[in-house]
Amino acid sequence: MESTTSNPTSTAAAELLSGVNAKVLLDSVDAFLFDCDGVIWKGDKLIDGIPETLEMLRSKGKKLVFVTNNSTKSRIQYANKFRTLGLSVSQDEIFSSSFAAAMYLKVNQFPPQKKVYVIGGEGIVQELQLAGFTALGGPEDGEKRAQWKSNCLFEHDKEVGAVVVGLDPDINYYKLQYGTLCIRENPGCLFIATNRDSVGHMTDLQEWPGAGCMVGAICASTEREPVVVGKPSTFMMEFLLQKFNLSTSRMCMVGDRLDTDILFGQNAGCKTLLVLSGVTTKSILDDPSNKIQPDYYTNKVSDILGLLGE
Amino acid sequence: MEGFTTTTTKASAQPLENADVLIASVETFIFDCDGVIWKGDKLIDGVPETLDMLRSKGKRLVFVTNNSTKSRKQYGKKFETLGLSVSEEEIFASSFAAAAYLKSINFPKDKKVYVIGEDGILKELELAGFQYLGGPKFGQQEDGEKKIELKPGFLMEHDKDVGAVVVGFDRYFNYYKVQYGTLCIRENPGCLFIATNRDAVTHLTDAQEWAGGGSMVGAICGSTQREPHVVGKPSTFMMDYLAVKFGILKSQICMVGDRLDTDILFGQNGGCKTLLVLSGVTTLSMLQSPNNSIQPDFYTNKISDFLASKAATV
Repeated sequence: MESTTSNPTSTAAAELLSGVNAKVLLDSVDAFLFDCDGVIWKGDKLIDGIPETLEMLRSKGKKLVFVTNNSTKSRIQYANKFRTLGLSVSQDEIFSSSFAAAMYLKVNQFPPQKKVYVIGGEGIVQELQLAGFTALGGPEDGEKRAQWKSNCLFEHDKEVGAVVVGLDPDINYYKLQYGTLCIRENPGCLFIATNRDSVGHMTDLQEWPGAGCMVGAICASTEREPVVVGKPSTFMMEFLLQKFNLSTSRMCMVGDRLDTDILFGQNAGCKTLLVLSGVTTKSILDDPSNKIQPDYYTNKVSDILGLLGE
Repeated sequence: MEGFTTTTTKASAQPLENADVLIASVETFIFDCDGVIWKGDKLIDGVPETLDMLRSKGKRLVFVTNNSTKSRKQYGKKFETLGLSVSEEEIFASSFAAAAYLKSINFPKDKKVYVIGEDGILKELELAGFQYLGGPKFGQQEDGEKKIELKPGFLMEHDKDVGAVVVGFDRYFNYYKVQYGTLCIRENPGCLFIATNRDAVTHLTDAQEWAGGGSMVGAICGSTQREPHVVGKPSTFMMDYLAVKFGILKSQICMVGDRLDTDILFGQNGGCKTLLVLSGVTTLSMLQSPNNSIQPDFYTNKISDFLASKAATV
C-alpha cells in the first residue's frame, strides 16, 4: 500500500457523531467530499436517506464533491448514474480515478503520439480519449486469448508509453501478459494505478475484489511499483482545489474505507468522517492493528440529517 | 516474496573452471528444469550425456521446478518424451510441494482445498487424498466462461468447508476465480493461503517471457491483504523435504539453476553449493550488474560444460 505524506496522526479515537458535534462539524466546513461505493450507493442501490441529506447540505450552502476510486466509469457516466438514481450531480462535481489517470498523463505532458494500454473498464478508456490520448486494451481485450505455441510470438505495441491499471472484472491472462510486456520491454513505460482498494461493494450484497487485485498482479509480474493517482494519494485534491477557493481544513471527507478515504482526507488536511455503511465495521475501526482514526464516525450519511433534527 | 535471511555471499561468483572438483565434492545435484534441462519443449544441448555422466559417477539427481502446471507423473512423461530416463520420485514440482505441504501440516481430510491454478495441482491433491475444487475450468459453462454479472441481488456463494486456497500459475485466470478465492480466505475462519511460487515471469515458450505464477499470487495478495505461505523456490520447503526423504546432508548438495531469485536463493537458503547456468533467463551482465546481490558459488554456460574437463569459455 502506497504510503503518502505523513499526516499528524490523530492518536485520539474517532468520536461518534452526535447532535452536538454534527452541528460543530457542519459549521466548520464549507464542502463535503463524498466517496461513492458504500457511502452514497452499494452497487446500483442508493443507501437510505441520501437524497434528503444531500439536499439539506446544499440548502445550507455546502459544496458537494464526489471522489471515487472506482475507475469503471468516466465522470460523464457517473453523472448519468447519479441522475438514474434521482440525484442531480454535475460532471464537474465528480472526481473519479479514471479522470485522475487521464489528468496525471496530461499534467506530466505524456506525448499524445504515444499510446496507453488499459487494464480496466470503459471509464478509463473514455477519460483518456477525452483528454486526447490513444487508448488500447480496455474491456474489448477481455475477449482475447493468448496462444503459446513455440513459433508464435505474443506481440505488443512498442508505442505504448504507459499502462493504466484499474478495477477490471474482465481481467484475463492476455491482458496481464500485454501489460507486463509493455512495462518490462518498452523503454520508459509508465505504470499507473487508478487505486489499490483490496475489495469494494461492486454489488449491494457483498464485497468484490478491487483494483488492488489487478494492480497486485502487475506489480508481481513487472517487479515494479505503480504511481497511484486515486485515494489515498492526494493527486485528485489538486484538481478539487482548482475548482474551489477553499482551504482543505474547511472540507470534510466522508468515506467508508480507512486506508483510502480517511487517509486521503488526513493527508490533505481535511476533517474526516467514517461511515459504517460500507466495507468498514466498528470492530475493524476499534481493532488494535488499525492505525487510522477518523475525526468522527457514524452509521450512514443520513445520520447527519437525523442528528441535526431536520 | 517471503523474507528469508540470505547468507549474503560477499564474494562474487566464480566461473566454473574445474567441474571435476565440484562434482567430486557433492553427492546430489538438484536441477531446475526450464532454462537448465529444456527450453519450452526443446532439450538443451548436451543434457542427456551430462546426466548419464553424473549418474555413472554415482551422483543422485533430483529435479526441482516451480512450474505447477504438471504433476510429477506428467513431468516424468515429458522427460521420457525428450529421451531422458528420470523417474517420478526424482521430480519435485511446486504442484507436488503444495500437496506435500498440506500433508505435512496434517490438513484435515474433511476440509477442502480451493485451487486457482492448472491441472498439475489438481492431480497432486487428488493423489494425496485431498478434496478439492477449482482449477482451470472452474466457473466455466459448457459454451465458454461464466460471465460475472455485477447486478443487484447477485450473490456469489462459496463452500464454507474450504480450509485452504492454493494459488499457482493459471492461464485461465479470471475475476470469478479471484472472488471465490478471496471469499474463502476472508470469510472461512483459519483458511490457509498457499502459493506454489511467486515467479514474476516464466518461459512458456523459448522465444519470450510470460507473466508468471507470481502475478496470480499478487492478485490474491491484493484482494485479501494477506501474504501467502510459499512452498516453491526460494522457500526451502522442497529442499527440506527431499533431504529427509533421501537422507542427505545439504552440504552434500549442489543446486543448479538459471534464476537468481528462485534457484540460487533456494540453494543458498538451504545451505548448499550453487551453480548458475546462463542457458536460461539470466545473462552474464545481469549476474554482474551492481543491482544484483545474489552471487552463486559458480557460473557456467550450460550443464554440458561438466563434460569438458578444462575450463569452458564463458
